[in-house]
Amino acid sequence: MLVTEKLGKKYGEFSAVEDLSLEVAEGSIFGFLGHNGAGKTTTISMLTTLILPTSGRASIGGFDVVKDNLKVRSMIGYLPESVTLYGDLTATENLRFFGRLSGVEHLDANIEEVLKLLDFTGWKDRKVKTYSKGMRQRIGIAQAILHRPRILFLDEPTSGLDPRGTKDMRDILLKLNAEWGTTIFMNTHLLSEVTKVCTDIGIISKGRLLLADSLDTIKKKFPEEKSLEEIYFRIEVGKR
Amino acid sequence: MSGVWTLARKEVKAAFRDNVFLIITGLFVVLSIISVYIGSSTKNAEMRAYQDIVQMLKSQVAASLPPAPAIYPLAILSNIINYVCMIGAVVAIFLGFESFSGERNAGTLRLIAVRPVYRDQIVTGKLLGGGMVIGLLLAVILVFNLALFMVVSGLSPNANEMGRLIVFFILAFLYMSSFYVTTLYVSIRTDDSAFGFMLMMIIWISISYVLPQLADSQRNFAYALNTTAQTVTQVPSDTVVSKTIEIFSPAAQFQNVGKDLLQVVPETAVQGVFRVIQRQIGALVNILLPGLVLLFLSYRAAQREDAL
Repeated sequence: MLVTEKLGKKYGEFSAVEDLSLEVAEGSIFGFLGHNGAGKTTTISMLTTLILPTSGRASIGGFDVVKDNLKVRSMIGYLPESVTLYGDLTATENLRFFGRLSGVEHLDANIEEVLKLLDFTGWKDRKVKTYSKGMRQRIGIAQAILHRPRILFLDEPTSGLDPRGTKDMRDILLKLNAEWGTTIFMNTHLLSEVTKVCTDIGIISKGRLLLADSLDTIKKKFPEEKSLEEIYFRIEVGKR
Repeated sequence: MSGVWTLARKEVKAAFRDNVFLIITGLFVVLSIISVYIGSSTKNAEMRAYQDIVQMLKSQVAASLPPAPAIYPLAILSNIINYVCMIGAVVAIFLGFESFSGERNAGTLRLIAVRPVYRDQIVTGKLLGGGMVIGLLLAVILVFNLALFMVVSGLSPNANEMGRLIVFFILAFLYMSSFYVTTLYVSIRTDDSAFGFMLMMIIWISISYVLPQLADSQRNFAYALNTTAQTVTQVPSDTVVSKTIEIFSPAAQFQNVGKDLLQVVPETAVQGVFRVIQRQIGALVNILLPGLVLLFLSYRAAQREDAL
């Protein structure tokens, strides 16, 4: 579904991402781990066609993110780290706007379906600025899946959410993956969330990919470490 | 095209849900209506005074009567030139100052950019949306003011005057749009909406007040030499310096063309509308050129990675 080959992004002399080679299988939930400033958001920005790579290549569903960017955009959904949407518009109006931009057919039916899936129908006609952070995040997810993307990119989806909101978000992602078969690529630094949601993980540090494999395989590779946290620090420290 | 239209419609909807924008717009509409009412009432009072004088002279069996004052109906609407120049520009600034930077900070610009739309379509959508709001606003003002003017003054404009009025409103649309485009460019290039707004207010003050005042002060340096009496008299009039300064003020240019179109200048008041346009072609270029340059720069700036 997603393949990168020696993908890189430089800002002048500074390498934000370097030689990133990665494969994400269709139907998997991939957790991209790394501390703040490791290069996670830069990677997701290149994969979602928001910025251009300075080296290497990446493709989604066989389409190059640079050459076929419009095709890639019609296949992906994206939720940035902190998004407020249009506060003066209702949830339905926001979704209608983003749905139209994505060229969604049968828009009203799709909106109903998505809101039902996210258990949000009772709030759909209230202005977004009156929502809590958790509710806004739900509508954020709704705009990202409205056009039934094959792959969903999430940048720190549980950032700033309370425990209830975090659990709800986790349940939504698992439901999407199970019911719609959506591949999910999520940036996070919350290791506890990764173990509960992800099937595969990648660890990035200082712009370089340190490890990428299925969660089960990684656990087998590090039998002495009791948790993903211990594995993460072992890999991080080992590379320093 | 559907992406552009979707973006434009969202801009219109968002503008009319913004309370501050609605207050400024309401102020603009109310002031323009008051100005028409005052203009019409003043003209009526002037005519009544003239008729009273004629009546009195007739009762005294005067040999000759004073000529009737020339009435140029559109001059009654002339205050609207200042309102477009001042408040209209602020409305356009207010409409555009968050168009990119606000969306960038809210994260919505990235959500738009991951959709199958090109970045120049995003700029076009915003321009179309802003243009629709400005156009709608001016159309409402035109209809309201024209109706009020006809009711209060009892006059109705002829075909040429109607043409002048329509051309004036098209010019007002282009003038306000050029402020909108400039604000859009500033909004693309800055992350801080408040800074963008302040910068635009400084630009607005400079071209609407500072430069015209500088040009005015230069006009006061014009003197007339009376060779018979051997005296020099100060006669404020255009000088090369004042005209050069005004080139850099689209506001002054707009006022000059607006006064011609709305029959404030008696020498051109009865000329055909195309003759007036021909006469003011230089001023029209000065009004439109900055907007066109900034339009081009906006499309270019939107392609930059940091625009998102």
